[in-house]
Amino acid sequence: MPLPAYIKKDYKRTRTLHGNWYLMNYKYKFNLSRTKVFLKGLKEGHILGLKCRSCNTVSFPPRLICGRCLVMPDQWVRLPETGTIATGSASYDTNDKNRERPLPVIAVRQDGADTVWLHNMPKDIDFHSIYIGMPVKAVWAKERTGSWFDIDHYDAIEDPAIELNKKEQEK
Amino acid sequence: MEKVGIVGYYQLKPELDIMMSPYEAIFTAVRGALDSAGLKRKDITTVVTCTNDYYDGKTISNCFKVEAGGAYMKDETKVELDGAHAAAYGLYRILSGNHKLAMIYGFSTPSCYFYEPVRILELDPTFDRTMSVINPYTTGGMQMRAYMKAFGVNEEDIAKVAVQNYKNCSKNSLALPEAKKPDISVQDVLDSEILSSPLRRLMYPIPCDGATAMILAPERQSLKITDNPVWITGMGQCQETYYLGDRDLSISVSMEKAAEKAYKRAGINDPKSEIDVAEIFGHTSCEELILAEAAHLSEKGKGAILLDSGPALNPSGGAMSAFTPCASGLTRLVEAAKQLRGEADGYQISGAKKAIASGQVGFCAQNNIVFVLEGGG
Repeated sequence: MPLPAYIKKDYKRTRTLHGNWYLMNYKYKFNLSRTKVFLKGLKEGHILGLKCRSCNTVSFPPRLICGRCLVMPDQWVRLPETGTIATGSASYDTNDKNRERPLPVIAVRQDGADTVWLHNMPKDIDFHSIYIGMPVKAVWAKERTGSWFDIDHYDAIEDPAIELNKKEQEK
Repeated sequence: MEKVGIVGYYQLKPELDIMMSPYEAIFTAVRGALDSAGLKRKDITTVVTCTNDYYDGKTISNCFKVEAGGAYMKDETKVELDGAHAAAYGLYRILSGNHKLAMIYGFSTPSCYFYEPVRILELDPTFDRTMSVINPYTTGGMQMRAYMKAFGVNEEDIAKVAVQNYKNCSKNSLALPEAKKPDISVQDVLDSEILSSPLRRLMYPIPCDGATAMILAPERQSLKITDNPVWITGMGQCQETYYLGDRDLSISVSMEKAAEKAYKRAGINDPKSEIDVAEIFGHTSCEELILAEAAHLSEKGKGAILLDSGPALNPSGGAMSAFTPCASGLTRLVEAAKQLRGEADGYQISGAKKAIASGQVGFCAQNNIVFVLEGGG
């Protein structure tokens, strides 16, 4: 009996394939062209926020899409180096034995922006001294390369509100 | 079943390696769908996302895409199957009466990971996965051989399906550029590399990056939004057993049951003559025939006649045109809706009034879902 047409000489050829999914191999995509202006600004020492023309929300760090309006904001605005602490906490690193104090983690609202971002403060600062509404100033990295790490940390600056409060209390 | 209208849709042009971040791709699709219907973000009441944690490289893959998907401060949920299942979820939400506008989108980027190895993680980890010979290629090969043996079909007939799909792709402006092959011949398909005998490389679609969005609305709202909505009149879904050995691979019982449910709800008695367009999502050219036969579009084993007569099978090019995991089934729905609206530029089937669109998930189409669509405002 002749072989049916569907049996060919290459019958034995097959392909083995091992299942794998490693997070290390996953290529995360990010379109850098949209943040180019922001990163170039950081390199030159400017802090830029992104303003939505529809709802006037200024986001810093820039959000590529305004969730409220479902549009892509495209208006870059210059922001000052100062900001205020929106909230904060302390991080205890149990692995680092040299660190004597916990490192403060703060959420900074850059002046002129509507969003906050998380950053750190110098290691020598006592985290008990930070409070909500405390004015801070961005400290630039020694060498600016045009990346997110160009702002090294936020440092405390003099708070005029403390003096005013004292005067109020004296009255 | 109460009618639900498809009022807007948008398909991002698929590419092998898209030059967009996931955020932007989803935004483009969702914004495009809203603009096509002339709606605003505030009109959306619910969002159904179709993404996969493995395909996105992060857990809870929908939480990162809230703003881009228009779900900010809205009712949102995720389906981790096919885009067509997300559409079914949206349909239920509309039919519940609680929602007036459902945004549905499916998205993934296979350029970021290896698609076939990740599919293997669908398998049973104790038995099937350790064997390392069960994968999308070999299951496709087994299915094709079972089909050929059961009905005496030869490889040429199945290659013809692939050829027609590639030719249809060349007319479709939103098809993957690599799949546009207007001059391909049956011999080219049969001479292409063997993936798993008898399955050839050109019978298997190329996974590509893309995003598709669609908007559903209840009957009254649909008529307010557009003069030309496409109605979903029937829907059926059926889940088969996981184990390949427990099924007859030459037919698809789950597709048959799903299609029968959908036809019953839509009041279709003779699908062969009543359906004008069939957008079937098959992982391989052979599976496309099996599913089309199971949907009663032709007799068993004679699916190849659909290439010449009867309902138009995949005028858009089917899965070959844009095989985006998580979005393929949704793209089939959008393509069927385009045909009924008369918007399929270059591959329009004249006088198309009723269409079916299918989605599937699992090895050898384990879970099938069928939608019956009707045109006319």
